[in-house]
Amino acid sequence: MTTQDQELFDNTCHPVEFPRELPPELRAGERARHGLARFLKALSEGWRTFRQNPLGVIGLSLLSVFALMALTSFIPQMINPMYNPMTGVDPNIMGIQAPSWKHWLGTDFLGRDIFTQLLVGAKVAFIVGFSAAFMAVALGTMVGLVAGYFGKWVDTLLMRLADIIMVMPGLLVILIISAVIGQLTIWNTVLIIALLRWSPVSRVIRSQTLSLRERAYVEAAKVSGAGSARIIFRHIAPNVLPLSFLYMTFRVTAAILVEASLAFLGFGDPGTVSWGMMLQWVWKTGNMFQAPYWLLPPGFCISLITLSFYLIGRALDEVVNPRLKKDA
Amino acid sequence: MELRRYLINRTFQIIITFFFIMTLLFVLFRIAPGDPSSMIIDPAMTPEDVASIRQQFGLDRPLYVQYLIYLINFFKGDFGISFYYGEPVLEVIKSVLPNTLLLFTSATILSALAGISWGKYAAWKKGSASDVALTLTGLIAHTLFLPWFALIMIWIFSYKLELFPLNGMISPEIWLDPGCGFWAKSLDVLYHLFLPLLVLFIIHFGGFLLVMRSSMLEVVKEDYILTARAKGLTDREVRNHHAAPNAALPVVTNIGLSLAFSINGGALTETVFSWPGLGRELVNAVSQFDYPLAQMSFLIISALVLVANLVVDVLYAYLDPRIRY
Repeated sequence: MTTQDQELFDNTCHPVEFPRELPPELRAGERARHGLARFLKALSEGWRTFRQNPLGVIGLSLLSVFALMALTSFIPQMINPMYNPMTGVDPNIMGIQAPSWKHWLGTDFLGRDIFTQLLVGAKVAFIVGFSAAFMAVALGTMVGLVAGYFGKWVDTLLMRLADIIMVMPGLLVILIISAVIGQLTIWNTVLIIALLRWSPVSRVIRSQTLSLRERAYVEAAKVSGAGSARIIFRHIAPNVLPLSFLYMTFRVTAAILVEASLAFLGFGDPGTVSWGMMLQWVWKTGNMFQAPYWLLPPGFCISLITLSFYLIGRALDEVVNPRLKKDA
Repeated sequence: MELRRYLINRTFQIIITFFFIMTLLFVLFRIAPGDPSSMIIDPAMTPEDVASIRQQFGLDRPLYVQYLIYLINFFKGDFGISFYYGEPVLEVIKSVLPNTLLLFTSATILSALAGISWGKYAAWKKGSASDVALTLTGLIAHTLFLPWFALIMIWIFSYKLELFPLNGMISPEIWLDPGCGFWAKSLDVLYHLFLPLLVLFIIHFGGFLLVMRSSMLEVVKEDYILTARAKGLTDREVRNHHAAPNAALPVVTNIGLSLAFSINGGALTETVFSWPGLGRELVNAVSQFDYPLAQMSFLIISALVLVANLVVDVLYAYLDPRIRY
């Protein structure tokens, strides 16, 4: 471990605690205030580093556009029910039509507004991406902490499992699951993605935990009688959370891509309009050569949201691992 | 000697992994709602066939016997009858496996080679216009949504420019013509292969390029590069013989890690291009509820990923003499 890494951890780790010094209520308040101040300080320092990375800023700007799309996705349907992405039909339009003032990106094979579908697709992408990533990272962090802290056979067992899951082609596993249990809802998909994508996170968290558990402050906590759970969650976990957070940005992309691919192949949730679903419609109805205004936007969105999360992830990598900063 | 132990170790792990996946699949198909026999028996079969299949798969026997029969059948190569094709699953898989291997291995090898050499070059000329251009291209290629990109390529090259076939792997008129020899047929396959290969290549080289570039940037800071320069070696020699081989190691690891990901991409590409491969067969089997075929194509694809992982391990051990534990 380099000096910079050392500093990084020393700056973020909690001070050694001596449990019986203060009455509990006072201690809790003290720590909360202290923790919040520290968190805000770290955040503003991190933001300063992040801001210096032009690609990261581009990624963040792109992402805010998508966030705006997702947040405004309910507006068109409120203005006029014909803009409903699923059931809305313009009484004057039957089927596909090129872009017009009324339908900025034209209409699909059922006469539904493509622009609204695109907005709702952004919302679905965020929901799928963040919930799957959150679950995957939470699971991966837990597994990594437990494996790293306990070591021995627990470690071997969990890491073998992580290896096995790592080599499974996620998309195809979801396909085979959907073959068995039938049509997957969007939440089933999210859950399965999370169950298949935790292993890379757990590897990284485990190796960090391995080095953290040898630290003096963990020793001190042990001596003062803290149990394993307390040491893991109060003393080790706070130090690996920045890394987990970094990994979340990468997991978000993976989840969005898997959902989009699944929907594209025709195994998406028929009750949701996702970008992958839109591509499946344009492809399966054989309109991909006739309607570029329908084919291009959803794919652009999937690719750009992937790009933006990737850029943000790389910039965050520099914030979390200052050692990388010089290379840029 | 040490190398042999490492490889035996890895092979052993891979066999265990495969058993784990097989067992998982068995459990998955047995906990599924409904009668498990509906997963193996085609609704269109005659009662006699149904009875013989029930007996063959031991569906009237306890679970552990069913599991044993499942394992034995797999190693005997008896995968059941595909509902859709009405012929043994093994035959279907045998006919599509070479096509997948052709597309997948050529795409992986070409994109890795290109990623390594361009990444090497970009890192060496860090900050130059060509570095920026290469890195940005790699970045964009890396984040393109594969099926969409494939559709666009078909739209441009096959539909607008009419340079390549829309889909498939062969032109029937050439294959049915007895006058066409081996070379004409090979050329025909290459002609159909080009576009899907190009799509997979573009999607995958970006990732390799980015990894190679950042690994190369780490390596050039090492002392032995300074030594090589001080010895008076040319720039080219230092780059190609001292820096690049060491920088390529993480790329090889990356090939192993991204295999599962690129198998997914392979399935999508095959489906979009109607390339008669294992991935497309799996996708079709799932949508047609052809359970025996779906199950076995999945197992064979998993086995492929595992074997490819082993190949990457061997390559890694060969490239890095330090990996001998």
